[in-house]
Amino acid sequence: MKEKVLTLPTPFGAPLELYKNTWGNPNNEALALVSGLHGDHLQGIHLNLQLAQFLDSVVEGSHPDYTLKGQVISFPVVNLNAIQCGSRLAPADGMDMNLAFPGNPQGETTEALASAIITHTAECYWGLILQSAPPHYEDAPHIQTLQLDSSTKKLCRNLKLETVRQLKPSPAHKVTLAYQWQQHDILTAILSSGSPRTVNIQQCETLFQSIIHFMKAEGILKDRRKIKTNTTTKPHFYPPENDVSIFANTAGMFLKEVKVGTPIEKGQTIGEIRDLYSGKRLEEIIAPTEGFLLTLRQYPIVYEKEPLATLLTAKKSWRNILPWSK
Amino acid sequence: MQSQCIFATQTPVGPPVEIIRHSFSANAKKTGKRVSLVTGLHGDELEGLYICHRLMGILKEREAQNALQGEVHVYPAANPQALDSGTRLWPFFSVDINRTFGENNTHSLATDLSKALLADLKSNSDLVVDFHASNLQLMELPQIRIIKDFEKKLVPLAQLCNVDLIWVHPHADIFESTLGTNLNQAKIPTLVIEAGICLRINKTYCEQIILGILNLLEQTGTLQCTEPRTDIKNPKLLQPHQVAMVQSPNAGLFVKSVEIGQALQKGDKIGDLIDSSQKQKEIIAPCSGLLFTLREYPTTGQGAPLARIAIEETS
Repeated sequence: MKEKVLTLPTPFGAPLELYKNTWGNPNNEALALVSGLHGDHLQGIHLNLQLAQFLDSVVEGSHPDYTLKGQVISFPVVNLNAIQCGSRLAPADGMDMNLAFPGNPQGETTEALASAIITHTAECYWGLILQSAPPHYEDAPHIQTLQLDSSTKKLCRNLKLETVRQLKPSPAHKVTLAYQWQQHDILTAILSSGSPRTVNIQQCETLFQSIIHFMKAEGILKDRRKIKTNTTTKPHFYPPENDVSIFANTAGMFLKEVKVGTPIEKGQTIGEIRDLYSGKRLEEIIAPTEGFLLTLRQYPIVYEKEPLATLLTAKKSWRNILPWSK
Repeated sequence: MQSQCIFATQTPVGPPVEIIRHSFSANAKKTGKRVSLVTGLHGDELEGLYICHRLMGILKEREAQNALQGEVHVYPAANPQALDSGTRLWPFFSVDINRTFGENNTHSLATDLSKALLADLKSNSDLVVDFHASNLQLMELPQIRIIKDFEKKLVPLAQLCNVDLIWVHPHADIFESTLGTNLNQAKIPTLVIEAGICLRINKTYCEQIILGILNLLEQTGTLQCTEPRTDIKNPKLLQPHQVAMVQSPNAGLFVKSVEIGQALQKGDKIGDLIDSSQKQKEIIAPCSGLLFTLREYPTTGQGAPLARIAIEETS
């Protein structure tokens, strides 16, 4: 059910309208799905519309194998002005929507929208935020969390994605939706993938299956078929100290040679930087360690000292070190 | 004057982005404080830039006259590319530098810059002044905003700065990633001055603050005091309950009828709001007091601030 939850007048035209979709039994535990906090995070919006289509068909009975047992609430588009302008931030105030939580119902547009999201999701049991990488980067599909307690780990396991990255705590986190949901005891995860202003259908499909699996595992969605899955995806949990950033030592045009979501060997070439005037190769970017390539520079123009890639490294178990285990 | 680059990064097309610290110091034994002046964290706020330019001229002269008793460090352009393009944010990254301070941020050029600036200020300052203008929408009377937790330490210093008012307000999470809060938490008293409106220079306000900073430097023993200044304002000290905010009841065009700095009476007309259906509504002062914030940019959304009034105490 599509429902208008907030109307905000605009100075010169039609009002801004915030909508939420709701499916399932309101008496049961609810899952909140939020995308479009930044106007250029289109991947999450696409994922949300895929889920809307699927849940509509489940409720209508087009998927006879599925029954919706819990409740799902989705906000596909939050930062309405930014999305209308095709920009990350709302141009009128330049405020970062994800630094405006918990918001203020009497405040300006961004604050009022943030407040509406909190109000309409406060009673949810789980919360998933669907986002893309920061500007200029691409993310492999992965889960981000602010904490890694047992409940969050269970949530991550049920999402069946291989990569779970715990974020470094930062003062700015306190005004994000993820942090505010945690303050409401909502089990929260951020699903990040792709790059701003683009939609990667393959990555969306990965995350779509991940969320469907999560809903089945948590009993939100019942699948009458007794299908045994062959895949046994176990997540790797990466604490902040396992992040390895690879930096540019020169400025110019970065030409990548690898893809996100792939394992990287120590010494492997990540790409190169070329001078904008002469075309000369200024630097070859080499992986300082082995790891999983989580984030890669997408926009080629780079400044000196900018991070070009993030590798997630795993501590080796003693089994990998002992010679007779090899 | 000595100049030192505290952060530099090569750009793809030409000269590097550099943050420069200009230092003025006593030649003889230093008895005064080390005071740092920071401006340009937001590239569209130009009042601080002009104030620092003027102060640097004065400090050069005073340094030559051996009138410095401590150190003054000036960081006149903390976000050079944003200043070049007249934008609040660092344009290439769309990042607000003044939301990236704090110990545990992830890697980006913006957070590297904020770390370098914070570290340099911490190691060179006993007192910091961070200059800001308002945003595109609002005009502000020269004021210093202080988070309640730091009131005791900062109010006596703020009273030296020749501002019209000192506004003590409660803490909010959003401040935790700002330069001012991080320095104050590190026990380096930091005053955040707000005056004027972005993309413009209000010369009167600038002169007022220049006088205030010179007074601050003299009163803290950083600069030799020739004769006591008698022209320093005694600012209004406002607690949170003494500030009334007038918000827009609807979206539309706000056309002001008053000027900032006016003493308003309850019921005075502040302006008109014309909404999209051409209906005109009078915006009325809810209380008597000093008008210290006024909306200059007419287009307004619902809930946006139109004015702030320092509430007049009734005896």
